[in-house]
Amino acid sequence: MELVTIEGKWDFNYTYFAGESASRFFHELRENQRIMGTRCTKCEKLLVPARAYCDVCMSVTDEWVEVGPEGTLETFTIITTAFPGLPKPPIVMAYVTLDGADTALINLVHGMDLSDIEKAAQKLNALPRVRVEFIDEPKGRITDFSFKLI
Amino acid sequence: MTDAADVYIEGVAIELSWADRTRSLTELIFTTVSKAVDDAGRGYEGIDSVVLAAHDLVDGRSLSSMVTAPAAGAYLRDEVRYSDDGAGAFAAAVARIEADEAERSIVAAWGRASEHDVEEFSRALFDRIFLAPLGLEELHVSALNAQKWRIDGGDASHVETAQARRATAAKANPRALHAGGKRSTPAYPLASDHLPLWADVVAAVVISKRPSGVRIKGLGLSSEPSWLGDRGVAKAPALKRAAQRALSEAQIGVDEIELFEIDGMTLYDEAIALEAIGLAATGEGMRSLAHDPRCNPSGGSMAGYGVPAMGLARIVEATLQLRGAAGPVQQGRPRTAMASGQSVTAAQTQTVVVLEAA
Ligand SMILES: [Zn+2]
Repeated sequence: MELVTIEGKWDFNYTYFAGESASRFFHELRENQRIMGTRCTKCEKLLVPARAYCDVCMSVTDEWVEVGPEGTLETFTIITTAFPGLPKPPIVMAYVTLDGADTALINLVHGMDLSDIEKAAQKLNALPRVRVEFIDEPKGRITDFSFKLI
Repeated sequence: MTDAADVYIEGVAIELSWADRTRSLTELIFTTVSKAVDDAGRGYEGIDSVVLAAHDLVDGRSLSSMVTAPAAGAYLRDEVRYSDDGAGAFAAAVARIEADEAERSIVAAWGRASEHDVEEFSRALFDRIFLAPLGLEELHVSALNAQKWRIDGGDASHVETAQARRATAAKANPRALHAGGKRSTPAYPLASDHLPLWADVVAAVVISKRPSGVRIKGLGLSSEPSWLGDRGVAKAPALKRAAQRALSEAQIGVDEIELFEIDGMTLYDEAIALEAIGLAATGEGMRSLAHDPRCNPSGGSMAGYGVPAMGLARIVEATLQLRGAAGPVQQGRPRTAMASGQSVTAAQTQTVVVLEAA
């Protein structure tokens, strides 16, 4: 007897509302090529990406502050599988704390020679300084920028 | 005299399999829940509630509980559905019994990795606005944590020994997955055998106030910020807090615990977790995983992994150890054990349970 298997696929459309804070963060990326954070009114930490509230203090943020464009790499991984919309693997993904920020930002690190993964890892292990680099035509998305070793 | 608030684990069962075409998901659930009820030894007498841990995206069934809950014994019973890890569901079930809202409960958790694309599922979990466009996956977060642990001076000289010990334990564990399963592609610094062995997992327990072999001594839950960049990378602060709460409720120090079944997706996650619960000093978790026989005798994520069932799976393994019924992986005759489970997404929420042989 043949044991039956049924194929399935979920393919629904959603429209996610990013909200005012994220929209302004993305607007700043597209129009001014700068990374913005917002300051928590209670713990006074500068939270990046900018957001409406601090979920540690459960307080609203007020002040908008530009961070970077340089920062320090905190940790990284090197990914060898492909993902639509991203460069061909291997790619480096890292947490970077931009100058002035109190939280880290995840994004890709570009412009490294990855022909020797161990060698590249050694370089990143030294927690190098990085600089934010924007794409030529920013679209107001998180993929508008990446990090580059200084 | 027994404390009126004490809750006991009466029965446990766990089954790991891989792409068993002879059984549907509901049949897998039915089998394991029936075994847990049999293990408790008095049928469905007095069972008035079920708490389920399952995830619609894992199951690939919208409102999956409609189909799966009756397979876990929910018919005409009070049903609570927890869309996250099984240890969290266990904590909810215990609280309901302590509050006299339920008398005797089934807790069941499952995840069938063979039915879906694990990476696709993982990417679907992350924040849509900031993270999804980067293609972030659960194992990338594990890799970022692992590397941070190494950068911060974690003693990586024990990685190979720890991994070998996990492999030996998983091979000896009769409840582990011994055929089939699959592994994802590792991201640096992880190697293939550091990754979880994806499996079809169903775990179930029966709990009540009737004195039985294993007593629940302490419970703790905690959660981290949703923004990954706000977190204490490689420090697992939520697990630390949950462990402190569970230990404080149990009025016991971590050094007095004789057995640990601590959830982590990868080798490094397990090592970091041993530091967070306070068993190992910062940077020394890998040494404990390599040399301390109390730590994850089940083989951890090497033995087979299926979210969101792993917290409950750890509770089952710890219970069997306390009963002296863990088989070839039995570690002496421990009197106290700690088990933990982490949430489906990037270990954001952690549950810690302290158990005692009654
Ligand atoms: Zn704050």
